[in-house]
Amino acid sequence: MTFRQARYDEPSIWDMTVPPPTAPPPGITTVPERFRRKKAVQWPELAEPEVVRHYTRLSQMNFGIDTAFYPLGSCTMKYNPKVSELLARRPGAAEIHPNQPEATVQGALELTYRLERILSKVTGFPEISLQPGAGAHGEYAALLMVRAYFRDRGELPLRTEVLLPDTAHGTNPASASEAGFTTREIASKDGCVDLAALRAAVSKRTACFMLTNPNTAGLFEGEILEIAETVHAAGGLLYYDGANLNAILGVTNPARMGFDVAHLNLHKTFATPHGGGGPGAGVLAAGEKLAPYLPVPRVAKTGRRFRLDYDRPKSIGKIKTAYGNFGLDVRAYAFAVSHGEEGLKQASRRAVLNSNYLGAKLGKFLPRPFRTLVKHEFVLSGAPLHERGVRTLDLAKRLLDEGVHAPTVYFPSLVEESLMVEPPETESKRELDHFAEAFERAIHDTPENLHAAPRNLSVTRIDEVRAAREPRLSWKDLRNAAVKVETP
Amino acid sequence: MPRWISDEPGEEAALLEALGIPSVDALFADVPKKARVGRMGLGAGREEPEVVHDVDKLLDRNRPLSHFATFLGGRIAYRYAPAAVDAIVSRSEFYTSYTPYQAEASQGMLRALFEFQSLWVELTGLDVANASLYDGATAAGEALLLCRRIHEGNRFLIPASLPWEEKSVLANYASGPGLRVEEIPFDARTGRLDLDFIRKAVASKEVFGVLADVPNGFGHLDEGVLDLKSIIGDVPLVVAADPLSLSVLEPPGEYGADVVVGEGQGFGISPSFGGPLLGLFACRKEHLRQAPGRIVGATVDSEGRPAYTLTLQTREQHIRRSRATSNICTNQSLMALAFVVYASVVGPRGLATLQTSLAEKARTLATALGGIDGIQAPRFDSPYLGEFSIELTRGNSSDFLDRLRRRRILGGHSLADPRPTAPKEPERILVAATDSVSEKDIQRYATTARAWSSAGGRS
Repeated sequence: MTFRQARYDEPSIWDMTVPPPTAPPPGITTVPERFRRKKAVQWPELAEPEVVRHYTRLSQMNFGIDTAFYPLGSCTMKYNPKVSELLARRPGAAEIHPNQPEATVQGALELTYRLERILSKVTGFPEISLQPGAGAHGEYAALLMVRAYFRDRGELPLRTEVLLPDTAHGTNPASASEAGFTTREIASKDGCVDLAALRAAVSKRTACFMLTNPNTAGLFEGEILEIAETVHAAGGLLYYDGANLNAILGVTNPARMGFDVAHLNLHKTFATPHGGGGPGAGVLAAGEKLAPYLPVPRVAKTGRRFRLDYDRPKSIGKIKTAYGNFGLDVRAYAFAVSHGEEGLKQASRRAVLNSNYLGAKLGKFLPRPFRTLVKHEFVLSGAPLHERGVRTLDLAKRLLDEGVHAPTVYFPSLVEESLMVEPPETESKRELDHFAEAFERAIHDTPENLHAAPRNLSVTRIDEVRAAREPRLSWKDLRNAAVKVETP
Repeated sequence: MPRWISDEPGEEAALLEALGIPSVDALFADVPKKARVGRMGLGAGREEPEVVHDVDKLLDRNRPLSHFATFLGGRIAYRYAPAAVDAIVSRSEFYTSYTPYQAEASQGMLRALFEFQSLWVELTGLDVANASLYDGATAAGEALLLCRRIHEGNRFLIPASLPWEEKSVLANYASGPGLRVEEIPFDARTGRLDLDFIRKAVASKEVFGVLADVPNGFGHLDEGVLDLKSIIGDVPLVVAADPLSLSVLEPPGEYGADVVVGEGQGFGISPSFGGPLLGLFACRKEHLRQAPGRIVGATVDSEGRPAYTLTLQTREQHIRRSRATSNICTNQSLMALAFVVYASVVGPRGLATLQTSLAEKARTLATALGGIDGIQAPRFDSPYLGEFSIELTRGNSSDFLDRLRRRRILGGHSLADPRPTAPKEPERILVAATDSVSEKDIQRYATTARAWSSAGGRS
């Protein structure tokens, strides 16, 4: 298949018409003169069909799961079921307000309650909150809960350190420091936590150890029970980053592995769409120790009525407006009940099977730095490409020309020139084989062609250095730059 | 088994054969026995028609807003979105894409986000905007942290009239670095910020930022906000602005705001029980490298064509890790797309016309409620746009709102913090004019309120 992306010379929206008028909008008589806008908003006045065509054309210059295999490691780009989109747009889901009386949103509360019960069974933790906006927001909220827990125990002045492996997602250390902790990275051994290094690192200062399992190298941390024991023996808590939960549904769960608290990403494991970067939906799942600190409100059931419970004196309070991304909860609920027990198990089994299969195939072209028994994703090193004057980046761009999305590149950083590949359960063997063939063509292409890639997309290789060196971040910047050029 | 998991006959066997293993179980051999679980305890999977039926049965137990005359507002608006917005947002090239790490493959989303950033810059009068945050409240939280990075001090001032949810979110964002959030009292008659309080606080040299919202938590416009910057000097000013109001109000950048945040849901995004929402964030150029979140920049490709890419990523968690300006990774890109499509379809004149019409409706309602015994409407003697507060001088908000609801009117929401530990507050209700209410609905609201009053403030 020869792939060609649409390439429109589509003007920016502000170049589609005459410059907008600057005369002020008609004033609202009750608004004091000083408060009124003196100059109209600088934005074009366009007919609806022009706007629709503009954004439709832009959409055609964009890869999505629906247009391309999208094996981004750590991102779980599985097919987003259409039925979920349908249901989230029902008036009973979209046209309800968080400040409506509880009696008029019983269905929403019950759906939330049911989804929470499902996630409780999936994680093994008794209590769930759907409030976080996304995964990192869940991490942050959980760490605030950890702080509150140690404050209540009088240990806070001491327990200010969060430990993490060097394979951790960047959000982990960032969330920890935003929540007021210092962070310390533990070097991995063969891609997994080095238990001896962890034992040496834990202390009275340890608040928690943040871990993803399987980790970002796609490896299952087989010593997880010993890890839990080590952290707990030091009086610390164990945090589960649920970004990779898709590998272990029905096999193990964070509670069983010894974790105390977890966040999940409904936009990964439960297939809510990634939306070009968001919205996501984060989930907090907590064991007995941290459950009292979950954000308010919680959804409670009294008899057959559902209500929002604000009577949680130890709660950290609110971390976001309203109760979470309900529109995504509807989608995740539909996904979960469609699968059921066996379906979710099969999702993990097939994702892991796909990953091992594709890993074996691509392992013929590039070295795999760790053991080859992986879970839902695997890592390759593009280091040997150096000999031909080529980098992982070039390979990624060349893959785009094949009409497939590139894997995650340059993460995890402990692998030189890394590529991280995650082929989720919704991909058929045919798609995997097709990707392997595309990969083979790409890697065997000439260095010239690899450097020149991509050629088949709406643009060729983008100058990212220039973007950072001369930041032009809005139409206003472009206008100002244009003026500068014209002035001698 | 859902048909979304591939299960062609013989497919799994072929995969296993290629790996030389007898069963998928072999791939989980590294999970210790003691860590394994048996059944999760979930039900059997269901076919698509059954799932639709089940979810519809649940959703049918909700009363959608169209069932009522709706006067609910606050940060989350009930506002008509032209069908064109959802048509664009439903393009699966957009909604099934990931964060545009591979810029060449994602020009569509990057350009839409660049246009979104440009629009928020135009509305606010500031220099740079990011590509979105989770919601208005968390955007305010990020603004607080930004202020601390650019100014010394340990006290952050916020209006006492700010919605309780936002106060709680801000308290959480401040708690990490051990900062204090303090409430600025307001004038009992006008609801305006106590500028003397701010003056004194700033004189202590301990204040690293001041936040004011436009309109404020009571729905009113506080002219004092226009003078804030001259009072606080080099202390950063954060303005939390309703984007629709900016179609007719002075851009906060013009009166000295250093950061402008906002909740963008009202621009083409359905209320959906409070999420997904859209956090808006803009700041001055000099603080760009301290800003949180993804930012899209314009550049060129190797053949000189205009092109767009995520830029200045060294601020972000995946590069800077514990020293990142924020932990945010997933944002609200698709909602940002809805925002810019909405504004472009409605157009700047359309936005101003809409805001004007909501303001007229609100004034009609306030006038109609004005003379009723037991209701102070509006509660504050200050200008307002589409929303204002009322205060019940007898009875309570929940009885009042219940009575309205029985007449199929959602009359607003109580401003009180619902947590049992919260101090007792006056019976204040935020009332919003929405584009769906008619003159008749407004008169029905007033008639019902009069009946409530004649009944002695009982439901």
